[in-house]
Amino acid sequence: MSLVRIWKVLRKDLALGPRSPFFLYAVILPFAFTLIFQVAFGSLFEPAPRLGIVDDGSSEITAAIKDMEGIELTLLDDADELRDQVEANDLDAGLVLPTGIDEAIRNGDQPPLQFFIGGESYASNRIILSVTAIDVVREVQGDVAPVNVDIVNFGEAGLPISVRLVPLIMFYALVMAGVFTPGSSIVEEKENGTLMAMLVSPVKSSEVLVAKWMLGMILATIMSIVTLLLNSAMGSRPFEVLVVVIMAAALTSVIGLLVGVVSKDSTMLFGLIKGTGILLFAPVVFYIFPEWPQWIAKIFPLYWIIEPIWQVSVMGESITTVWFEMGIALAITVALLPIVIMLAKRMQSQMAAG
Amino acid sequence: MTSTVSRASILKALLKKELLAYSRDKLYLFLTILSLVFMVGIFWVLPDSVEETISLGVSPPVQSIVDDATDTLRAMGATDEQLAAIDATDLTQTEEGLEFVEFEDEDQMSAVIKGTLELWRTESGEQIFRDPEGDEDKPKDADRIKLDIGIAFPDDFIVDVAAKADDITVNVYSDAGVPEEIQGAMRSFVREAAYQFAGQELPVDMPDENAIVLGQDRAGDQVSLRDKLRPMLAFMVLLIESMAMASLISVEVLQRTATAVLVTPVKLVDFLTAKTIFGTGLALSQGLIVLVLVGAFTPENWAILFVTMLIGSVMFTGEAMIVGAAGKDFLGQLFYSMLFTVPLIIPTFSVLFPGSAAVWVQVIPTYPVIDTLVGVTVYGESWAESWQSLLYATAWLVVLYGAGLFTLKRKVETL
Repeated sequence: MSLVRIWKVLRKDLALGPRSPFFLYAVILPFAFTLIFQVAFGSLFEPAPRLGIVDDGSSEITAAIKDMEGIELTLLDDADELRDQVEANDLDAGLVLPTGIDEAIRNGDQPPLQFFIGGESYASNRIILSVTAIDVVREVQGDVAPVNVDIVNFGEAGLPISVRLVPLIMFYALVMAGVFTPGSSIVEEKENGTLMAMLVSPVKSSEVLVAKWMLGMILATIMSIVTLLLNSAMGSRPFEVLVVVIMAAALTSVIGLLVGVVSKDSTMLFGLIKGTGILLFAPVVFYIFPEWPQWIAKIFPLYWIIEPIWQVSVMGESITTVWFEMGIALAITVALLPIVIMLAKRMQSQMAAG
Repeated sequence: MTSTVSRASILKALLKKELLAYSRDKLYLFLTILSLVFMVGIFWVLPDSVEETISLGVSPPVQSIVDDATDTLRAMGATDEQLAAIDATDLTQTEEGLEFVEFEDEDQMSAVIKGTLELWRTESGEQIFRDPEGDEDKPKDADRIKLDIGIAFPDDFIVDVAAKADDITVNVYSDAGVPEEIQGAMRSFVREAAYQFAGQELPVDMPDENAIVLGQDRAGDQVSLRDKLRPMLAFMVLLIESMAMASLISVEVLQRTATAVLVTPVKLVDFLTAKTIFGTGLALSQGLIVLVLVGAFTPENWAILFVTMLIGSVMFTGEAMIVGAAGKDFLGQLFYSMLFTVPLIIPTFSVLFPGSAAVWVQVIPTYPVIDTLVGVTVYGESWAESWQSLLYATAWLVVLYGAGLFTLKRKVETL
C-alpha cells in the first residue's frame, strides 16, 4: 500500500468533492439543522404547564403569573374560547378573572374563582397550576405567609432542550459527512467508470478505499466540530472532544465505505441508507426524551459514538469515563473492516467481469 | 394474425411485472421486512403508561406532626373543635397528582433526594434503605422509589403556625433538575398548608373539582407513548412504501422501460392503472399488517381504519408518481423526494405533543390522515366523528393523486 497513491486519490476527492451534491449536503445540513431544530422546534419539546387567563380588569394575579418561570401563560379575550382551548387540551387549565376580583379578594368577599382544568391535562400539571393560582390569590389578599420556605437544591439543573437536541444535529453531521460522502463518492466513481479507470492504473482498490475512508473521516470530523461550536457544546476539553469525534468519524466512515462497495448504483445507495437510516437514527431520540428507557438506545451501533461525544463535549466528563463506549465503537469499526475488504474484492471482480 | 388482449389480462401482466421487479430487489425486500419487525418491536418495548404523579417526600410523617401538636395545643387551651379541625387537615389526602413518601428522619429524606441513599418499598409498604456504595444486595420483592423533592417540616410546625410564631422555616429539598414550576408549586403547597393550620380560609370560593374538569377526565388514564406511536407507525409505513414506489417508477423512467412497455398492446392508461394498484396495494397491505401487529384493530374501528389507510395509500402513490417522474437524474429525484417527504411527515410529530396542531400543520395534505388515525386508534372515534377529516383527506387525495397521474403521464409521453 502506497501512502503517496492514497494521498493522490484523497487530494483528487478533496478537490472534486465540492462539486458533488452529497458533499454540499454534508456541509450545509449542520447549519440548516442547527437553525431549524434550535430555533423552530426547540420550544415544542418543553412540556411546561399551560395556563390560559381571561382578565377583564388588569388583575394582579395575571401580572404575578406572567412573572413566573416554567408556566406557559396565554392571555385570551373570551371565556368561551378559553373553555374550548382547555377542553381541546391546547391549555392545561384556564382562569377567568372578572373586573374587580382583586378588590373583592382584599375585602374578604370570597368571590368565586372560575378555574377550569382540561380532562387530558396531567395530574401533576393540575396540582402545579391549582396550588400556584391559590398562592397568588393569597398574595393579592395581602396576608403575609405564616412560614418561610427555603428551597435547597442538590446536584445540577436539568438540561435544556437546546442541549438535548445537540446529538440529533451531531448525528446528521456525522451521517451526511461520514456515511453519505465516502459512500456516494465510491458509487459515483463506479457509475462514471472512473473507478475502473483508476484500478487499471497502479492504484490498488485498498488504496482507493483508504482514501475514501479518510475523506469521510476528515469531513465528518470537521463538520462535527463545526456543529458542536455552532451549538456552543465544545465543552472545556477540546482535545478530548476531538479524540471522541475522530473515533465517531472513523466508525461512520467505515459504514460509508460499506454502503459504497455494496451499492451497485446511486438508487441502491440511497435505498440502503434510507432503509437502514432508522437503525442509525434511533439512539438519538433517547437523548431528546431522557424519560424513555435508556437501555434501548444501547442496542443501536451509533449509540456507542454519540454517547462519548455527549459525555465529553456536552456533559464535560473526562474521556476516561467513556473508555468502555469507545472500546465498543472501536470494536464495531474493526469488525466492519474485514467485511468491507471482502465486499471490495467482490466488487472489483464484478467490475473486471464487466 | 391479430388477437385481442383484454384490459384485465394486460393489467394482470403489468402487476405481475411490478411484483417481480419488487421481489427481485432483495435489498428492498429485506429492508421492508426489517423495517416492519423493527417498528413493531419498538412499539412493544415502549412504556404503556404515563407517569403523571409527583412523588413528594414528607418528614416527619404527617400523623406524627398532628399527634405531637394535639397535646401541646390542648395544653395551650385549644378547644376540641379546633383540634378536630387540625386533625382533619390531612396533607396526604390532597387531590391526584401527588404521591407522598413519609420519612421519620429529615436527613434520610435529603440523602434519598441527593442520591446518596436508596429507598426501596415492599408490597406491604415497608421502607428499606440501602447505601448504593455499600455491599448490600438490592432488596428482593421491592421497588425502588425515585424521589426528587421533599418537604421537611419543623417538629413544632403546627403549634408554631397556630401560635403565629415568627421565623418559621420549612426546608424543601430538591434535585436541581426538578423544574422551576414544580419547586414553585411545592413552595405554594407548604404555604397553603400553613394557612390551613393557621385557620385562615381561602380568600376565594373554589369550585368543586368535578365541576371544573372540561372534557373526558383522563387523570390516571393518560394516552401513553405506545398508544401515540400506533397511528404514527402505520403512517410511517405508508411514507416508506411511497419511497419504494417512487424508486421503482424512477428506474422505469430513467431506464426507459416504460417506453418499451408502451410499444406492446399496453396503453398509457393501463400503465398508470397498474402503477396505482401496485403502489396502493404495497402501502396498504404493509400498513394493515403493522396495524394488526400493534393491536390497533377492534370490531368497531376496522372499517374506518381500512378506509383511512386506503385513502393514505392512494395519496402516497400519487406522491410517489410525482417524485418518481420528476428530476432528470437520480440526484434530481432525491431532491424532489426530500422536498415532498419532509413537509408530509410534519403532521405525524403533532401526535407527540398535546393539544391541537397549529393551523399551518393542519393544511398539510397528510394531516387529515394522521388526524383520523389518531382519533380512531387513540380516542376510539367513530364514523360520526371522523367523516369530516376523511372528507378533507379525500379532497387532498384527489389533488395529490391527480397531480401524480398528470406528472407521470406527461413524463412517460415525453420519453
